[in-house]
Amino acid sequence: MFSSINPGVKEKTAEHILRLVLFLFLAFLPSVWHGQYALGLLTLMAVYGVLLIGLDATVGYLGQVNLAHAALFAIGAYGTALSIKAGAPFPFALLAGIITAFIPGAALAIPSLRLEGPQFALSTLSFASLTIVVLNQCESITNGALGLTIERPSFFSIKLDPTGFYWFCLVVLYSIWLASDQLLKSRIGMAIEALHDSPTATDALGIGSLRHKVLAFAWGSALAGLAGGLHVMNFGYLQPAAFGYELMVVLLLGVVFGGRRSQWGAFLGAAVVTMLPNLLSNRFLFSALVSTGCLLAFISPVKTLISRRMPSFNEAAPACAMLFALLLSFFVPNIEEWRKGIFALFLFAAVVGLPDGIAGALTAAVNNVLVFNPEPLPEAKGSIPSPKVLTGYPLRTSHLTKFFGGVTAVDTFSIEIKPGEVVGLVGPNGSGKTTLINLVSGLYSPDTGSIEIAGSHPRHGSLMAAAAAGASRTFQNLQPFYSLTALDSIIVCQKKVDRPAAMGLLRTVGLEDKARKRCSELSFGDLRFLEIGRALATCPRILMLDEPAAGMSKPDITRLIGLIDSIKQTASIGILLIEHHQDVITELCNRVAVMNGGSLIALGTPEEIRKNPRVIEAYLGAEDLHASCMIKTEEEPC
Amino acid sequence: MNPEILAYTQMAVSGALMGLAYALVAYGFQLTFAAGKAVNFGQGELVMLGAFVGLTLTGIGIPYWLSIAGAMAVGTGLGWFVERSAVRLALKQHNEGWILLTIIIGLFAVSAAENIWGREDKPYPVPWQDGSIDFYGISVTWPEITIAAGALGAMILIEIAKRCTMFGIAVQAVSADPDAAELCGIRSTSATSLSWAVSGAAAAFAGTIIGPVTTVGPTMAAALTLKAFSVAVVAGLDSAIGLVFTGIFLGTVENLSGFLLGSGWRETPGLILLILALALRPQGIFGKKIIRKV
Repeated sequence: MFSSINPGVKEKTAEHILRLVLFLFLAFLPSVWHGQYALGLLTLMAVYGVLLIGLDATVGYLGQVNLAHAALFAIGAYGTALSIKAGAPFPFALLAGIITAFIPGAALAIPSLRLEGPQFALSTLSFASLTIVVLNQCESITNGALGLTIERPSFFSIKLDPTGFYWFCLVVLYSIWLASDQLLKSRIGMAIEALHDSPTATDALGIGSLRHKVLAFAWGSALAGLAGGLHVMNFGYLQPAAFGYELMVVLLLGVVFGGRRSQWGAFLGAAVVTMLPNLLSNRFLFSALVSTGCLLAFISPVKTLISRRMPSFNEAAPACAMLFALLLSFFVPNIEEWRKGIFALFLFAAVVGLPDGIAGALTAAVNNVLVFNPEPLPEAKGSIPSPKVLTGYPLRTSHLTKFFGGVTAVDTFSIEIKPGEVVGLVGPNGSGKTTLINLVSGLYSPDTGSIEIAGSHPRHGSLMAAAAAGASRTFQNLQPFYSLTALDSIIVCQKKVDRPAAMGLLRTVGLEDKARKRCSELSFGDLRFLEIGRALATCPRILMLDEPAAGMSKPDITRLIGLIDSIKQTASIGILLIEHHQDVITELCNRVAVMNGGSLIALGTPEEIRKNPRVIEAYLGAEDLHASCMIKTEEEPC
Repeated sequence: MNPEILAYTQMAVSGALMGLAYALVAYGFQLTFAAGKAVNFGQGELVMLGAFVGLTLTGIGIPYWLSIAGAMAVGTGLGWFVERSAVRLALKQHNEGWILLTIIIGLFAVSAAENIWGREDKPYPVPWQDGSIDFYGISVTWPEITIAAGALGAMILIEIAKRCTMFGIAVQAVSADPDAAELCGIRSTSATSLSWAVSGAAAAFAGTIIGPVTTVGPTMAAALTLKAFSVAVVAGLDSAIGLVFTGIFLGTVENLSGFLLGSGWRETPGLILLILALALRPQGIFGKKIIRKV
């Protein structure tokens, strides 16, 4: 088709230029599009831009359905309005709005962010309903359902006219856009995306899922408050009913339709939701728009039909929804009566058919035509980082016990691992190996016994505490950060961002040439190596590898042995290695611990273990039971 | 009896009976949550549509009992539709899109109801004579008794069906592990669809028994969804008996607080209870704790 064009700039630069052009255009728009009404709409668009960038932090980056944003917007608006009534000047009134939204936002975040999915959506929904009830009922403060009227204060003795205020809103939007971009592309943003993919791995690697969740939510709430303040200064009138469920759905429409995880998406969404209600009043324009949307929605299912296949649900459903909207636009006597229904149909089509929104679709189209210069990769430096604390044994457990109901998964387990030592942990399936690692890494809390990591006793049952003490692990079932690149997966695990060192670590695990690839594009074997790289990036004292060779090809296993051997040379790291591959164990381990039924049945060098009668019994059954011996040989031999 | 205490008791009893209706709607959440860990954020809208369909059927001269059956048939279809169009794909992709999609379908339902049946609340006529039964000065109306008997009866019936029929056992197998159930020859998508259809029927049925006590209108949906959510979450998403207790408790508290604090505050105890339950005991009072596995 087309040959790609290289404009000779980096994507970031191109984005900067485009954004500047957009804002200049917006700033000059009022001189072409006259009138008080148009100016009001444009200001509202800028305000919604700020609001949706905030909502995108939770709905997009965090991936949680947040239904409290409209309520936080209302709280911010009331905060600003009431402080203006109390005589606060312009900047303080805005600040009051931010703070009044930020405090309940952060307070709500802490309990409700321990929740996932539907429970999170629910707690935000009940918070939103509660807010509206309180705003309606506390008549002495908020004037109840009658609402508040305020006058916009002057900005440092300059009386802002509507155009001036519009420009002010544009400046705010521009700065928020840049700030949000910076924040969400930094390590914090990476951490937020990482915890979306795997909260367990995020905690186990010491990145901390809760603090980043709260941060994202607090940032979003502060922006909601700011937008609320601007909104009330723009309109001059406030009423609780305006901030109900319907507004919330409209805001979600904006973020989803515009494109999640993108400031451009939030802005486009704001433009759509501001202009859409006005389109509904112009029948002709609306029908034309819906027809275009309908045609676009029909392209992909028709293409599939032409190639003689049945269109899939994601192709057919948006087309049906748009067709339905088209029918409504032609046959319903009063379109505005059906406003909610039409929003619903658009939103349905967008959620199913355009998962990345308009911004996502446009970016994909641009990337098809233009090839930007890639961001330069850092120069690789160093290899395996040495831990800073060197006190005590890397790991020492004593009498560790864990029950699951009536099952004793780990039974009075005691072991010490010396610096630079590799201890193999073997045993039949279900013998408690992974549970032991889960106990040490803090995923489970032991019922009795103690864990000492690098001389300290981390709080039991806390992944973060164990990680802070110096424990790090990989997972038997991979827990990759799918939306991050290989390099970013390493950087996000570092305690202090050091890009050359991250690149060096990537070189050590053999993924240097795949640094820019997203984890979703990496092969299974590569992901296993990346998990080891991630674990090393936290500078651990004790590294726990849970079946690293499982599912790996022969050459990869050889590479893995080389890698673990070179970690072993970094004398201060102890390694606990669960593995079923006999050759890996023999080649690497100084000592081997054998578990059966939750308890440690043997501990010694690989040779000693191989001759130990109790180990043979655990794997193959006792000598005199020939029948069970025949059956049990199917298990992985030790 | 002291007239003041009598008034409170009267309030509490009416609230408790209404609470059983919330329990029935919440039971619909449990059914769908068991099969596929998703709930319908538009469940209240299904209740509203069920009530409207029943109302329309009685309006054209069909007897009350048959109108209930008709509403339940429509509810079954709608429940199936929500699963097919909003939930199935998103659950397959392991994202939260289904929450948005069920909200969206609910929104469309409200808009459609507003335009088809109008925005005003309508009374739901029932064939019983007016008046009520008195127990020691506390009066209970016939529609209220229908709510209690209907809600408990429906829940007991479904629970029996879940335990004693092949379909019910298949659904339980799918809820425990869909892949393993598929390997045993159970179509897990069909079992999930069945759960959603039953949940839709329960919601529509709830609409036809709630309608005569309250009134029927598009605004009833959102409030009902939240109340049913409160009941379901506070009780826990896997205990039917817990729902009954929590429903009765919440209905009572709601009626009393509406009476004592003013009708504007009616909803607040339920909402605060919901937030507290989510913060302190996310698995619910009657629920089992889930162990994370890696």
